[in-house]
Amino acid sequence: MSDITEVAGFAVALDRAYDPAGHFWVSRIDSDRARIGLDALGVETSGTIAQLAFLPVGETLKRGEAFGSLEAAKFVGPLTSPLSGTVTATNDAVVADPALVERDPYGAGWLVELTLAAPAELGELISGAEAVPAWFAAEVEDYRLKGVLAE
Amino acid sequence: MPEFRVVDFGRVSALRSQTLWHALAYGVSRGGPPTLSFMRPSRPYVGLGYHRRLEEADIEACREAGLPVFRRMVGGGVVYLDEHQQFFQICLPMSLVPRSREAALRRLLMPAVAAFRAVGVPAEMGDDLEIVVGEAKICGHGAAQIEEAVVVVGNLIERFDHTAAARVLALPDEVRAEVVRLMERFVTATPADSAAFRSAAIAAYGEALGLEPVVAGLSAYERERLLELDGRFRSQAWLRGPQRPDPKCSQIKVRAGVFVLCAEHERSRAVASVVGGRIERARVSDPELNGAGAVMEDRLAGLSLADVGDVLAGFGAPGRRLAAAFAKARLPGGWGVSPRQGRREPPEAV
Repeated sequence: MSDITEVAGFAVALDRAYDPAGHFWVSRIDSDRARIGLDALGVETSGTIAQLAFLPVGETLKRGEAFGSLEAAKFVGPLTSPLSGTVTATNDAVVADPALVERDPYGAGWLVELTLAAPAELGELISGAEAVPAWFAAEVEDYRLKGVLAE
Repeated sequence: MPEFRVVDFGRVSALRSQTLWHALAYGVSRGGPPTLSFMRPSRPYVGLGYHRRLEEADIEACREAGLPVFRRMVGGGVVYLDEHQQFFQICLPMSLVPRSREAALRRLLMPAVAAFRAVGVPAEMGDDLEIVVGEAKICGHGAAQIEEAVVVVGNLIERFDHTAAARVLALPDEVRAEVVRLMERFVTATPADSAAFRSAAIAAYGEALGLEPVVAGLSAYERERLLELDGRFRSQAWLRGPQRPDPKCSQIKVRAGVFVLCAEHERSRAVASVVGGRIERARVSDPELNGAGAVMEDRLAGLSLADVGDVLAGFGAPGRRLAAAFAKARLPGGWGVSPRQGRREPPEAV
């Protein structure tokens, strides 16, 4: 069971690392595999998700390259990988029902799994029971200041 | 005052009415200035949203009508485009666009609303981020992040052929007829002067962005990308697009909150027009209805999607089968209410 807490009105799972650039979470499956999903702020700023598509299993990608795409409100954008690696699994359930990402972003709404090409990249993500809430709260405040989120 | 580029391509081929603005987006991503562009296709064709299945377009009908089909990089569904539509596109570096898709769309579509109003069209931004007059959508829009640029596209629809627009959709005739009926009510043309609209759009985007318009053309890099895009958009691999699952239920969106739902379960079939979360008209069939179909259709008319299951439960096995068909609609909880944001939309189709 994930360790979920609430930060500035959003659910945040504390048992995983976060990519601040794309608002993705990363959860290690074992020493060289990780699962990736959108965090609650990533979901909120996406809007109502209409479509998701992922690279096929077996594709390799570098950190910063797209592992898929997301469409909401007729707005298509890339899902940018926080890690380098090879796609080993994609979540067919969210392709069939994108609302699953909104309903359960930290659980059944995961997106893809990768075999990591550079596990050291994990060290560049934000993790830890103190660092994650502090970072997330600052992000929410920043988004509110910029008008990205309603007050 | 900083500048933004205005490029008016005038009348262009169907292919170039897509590839030109994609090339501009790559250019803006590579450091080009914010850009407002205009063009008009010289002939009718069909556009397919980035994520949509090619099978959603009636390719045979398109071939018979001589309509090329091109997949675009922005979202939305299968759309009929022709020379009676003035296209516009606003493209900005990603760093200048809010991270929230909703905020980005609102910011980049509001100047278009101002442009419509400046040419006498009483346009408003609807709650669903569509540009509307009354209950009718007047502008088809889409958006994408292309590399490090964001582009939002739209059109001034001077004339709209609802029948032609529905004909290119791969649908059974009864569903198509219902789509046409709803399109005629909820999608409308606004025959304003297109030159005046372009001038008003330049002024409105300049004011909203705090930028001075400067007329310019494509950069050398954009010309290179244009040729690459011409080839890509003509290729069968691009047209086929990413692998997509076959939906269990067909939902053809006419505008936000308005769609035709067509679903089957075992031997039951339901076709329903949904407006604002309520069934406006339903057609049902099941071999065991034994004449109760008309009664059931009457009971469904006016019903909230959330209540369909309860009502159909009173019709025995056929009712349960039809409830299962309705439940295949791609809506949270099966009935159109999102726990986070209220009403949920089916995927955009038109």
